[in-house]
Amino acid sequence: MGELDHEVDAPRGATSREWEVFCRESSADPLTHVGSVSAPSADIAREQATQLFAHAAEALWLCPADETVRVQAESLALDPAADGTDATMDAESMQAETLRGERE
Amino acid sequence: MISVSKLLTDLDAEGDGLRYDAAEESTKSQIRDEKQRRPVVVWNVTKQCNLYCDHCYAAADTDIADGELTTAEGKALLDDLADYGAPVILFSGGEPLVRQDLEELVAYANEVGVRPVLSTNGTLITEERAASLKAAGLKYAGVSVDGLPERNDDFRGMEGAFDGAVQGIRNCLDAGLKTGLRYTITERNAPDLEGVVDLLTDVGVDRFCFYHLDYGGRGTEIVDADLTPVERREAVERVCDMTREYHDRGEEIETLLVGNYADAAYLVEYAREHMSEAQARRVYEYLRVNGGDPTGERVADVDYQGNVHLTQFWQGYSLGNVRDRPFGDIWEDESNPLVRALREREDRLTGKCADCRYAGVCRGGSRLRALTVEDDLFAPDPQCYLDDDEIRGPEPFAGGDATSPAD
Repeated sequence: MGELDHEVDAPRGATSREWEVFCRESSADPLTHVGSVSAPSADIAREQATQLFAHAAEALWLCPADETVRVQAESLALDPAADGTDATMDAESMQAETLRGERE
Repeated sequence: MISVSKLLTDLDAEGDGLRYDAAEESTKSQIRDEKQRRPVVVWNVTKQCNLYCDHCYAAADTDIADGELTTAEGKALLDDLADYGAPVILFSGGEPLVRQDLEELVAYANEVGVRPVLSTNGTLITEERAASLKAAGLKYAGVSVDGLPERNDDFRGMEGAFDGAVQGIRNCLDAGLKTGLRYTITERNAPDLEGVVDLLTDVGVDRFCFYHLDYGGRGTEIVDADLTPVERREAVERVCDMTREYHDRGEEIETLLVGNYADAAYLVEYAREHMSEAQARRVYEYLRVNGGDPTGERVADVDYQGNVHLTQFWQGYSLGNVRDRPFGDIWEDESNPLVRALREREDRLTGKCADCRYAGVCRGGSRLRALTVEDDLFAPDPQCYLDDDEIRGPEPFAGGDATSPAD
């Protein structure tokens, strides 16, 4: 394995703060990353993670995705630093293009 | 996704082999292979949208959101999906046409062998963009319309959105793109259903997909505007009746129901009541092999930031991110107990689902709706509209030849 020197710092939150969820199924098991939930507060994140994992979990840990440092051995091709080009229209262009087909 | 026209009128659409759901509705061998099939992947290429629809599962907005996958990252994702064997990529949003590299991404998907299809509100589809999407190799465009003009525009937050969508559809058809309608049925727009189909049939559309509302994103805010079970049954019956009426008049339209697998059971009951026992058996066999609700198995979603979701509607939970790990590794990772539970959900369903005789064709319907309304991942889907006397008793056609042809 290579050095863990590649940091992935792209945002993870879709609609609100993102919370990484870790689950232990029984006391002998490792704590395993099982994805993330979107929630505006730790309490709501806990509630959501509990709904999803209580059927299997002995323990759940949550931490804010934006406080989590993610480093890995390889720089994957999916890396925002690889190409910063923004392909999306700005709001003004978008409005100008809307219903243009209809006006023609 | 359940093809009403195929099951009730034997319509084998020309596009069966071309659609994103092709393997679900084309040849028998494809259907049998379906369980081993890789998921259709919905990619929300942006969160940005030029409309503001009441029921948007992606909670899209008019502003650009942070962290969109770039063009280069998008191509890397498509490489990743091609390596994994994903058959189809559904470009969605937000409104995917706000991305000016959409044609480049569509062409790239084609090049690496992942079938590109599109879900759009239609209002940005000019003649030029329809032509460039066709030239890029787009195979299908699904355009969302949610009612006749007044109701649609109210729903979509923009006056003229209906006319804009219809013009977008015309531009697609003129460019030679196979184009269909996406219609999310709610209490507000259920009365417009036949009117929209009549109107768009005249425009030249022959494929109509009716979606049940899922309770994700802004969809959770209009749960109260959803159909009651009685209204839902009536709406589904009208779709069935309308499909057969068009067929009887010699005008073939393709109709599909999406997002509520109680429809599978209903179609069997409908065929038995209005057609024949043999037709009901045929419908049942087809749907049994089809396999019921596809969440976490035959459909996957990657959002604009690369987060992987169990369906496009379930944006509040992510399995992982494609910037950290290849899609296939995330999707195949069954160390996640939620993924395992969803993939063996038949053993966990509770309430009326636990001993429902149609569990094999439905699999409990939407787990997201159960979670949203009942706070219970394995509770019955609150949209189930089947009567107790329909779901009690032995499995329909048990003991029949399980491998008998569905066609």
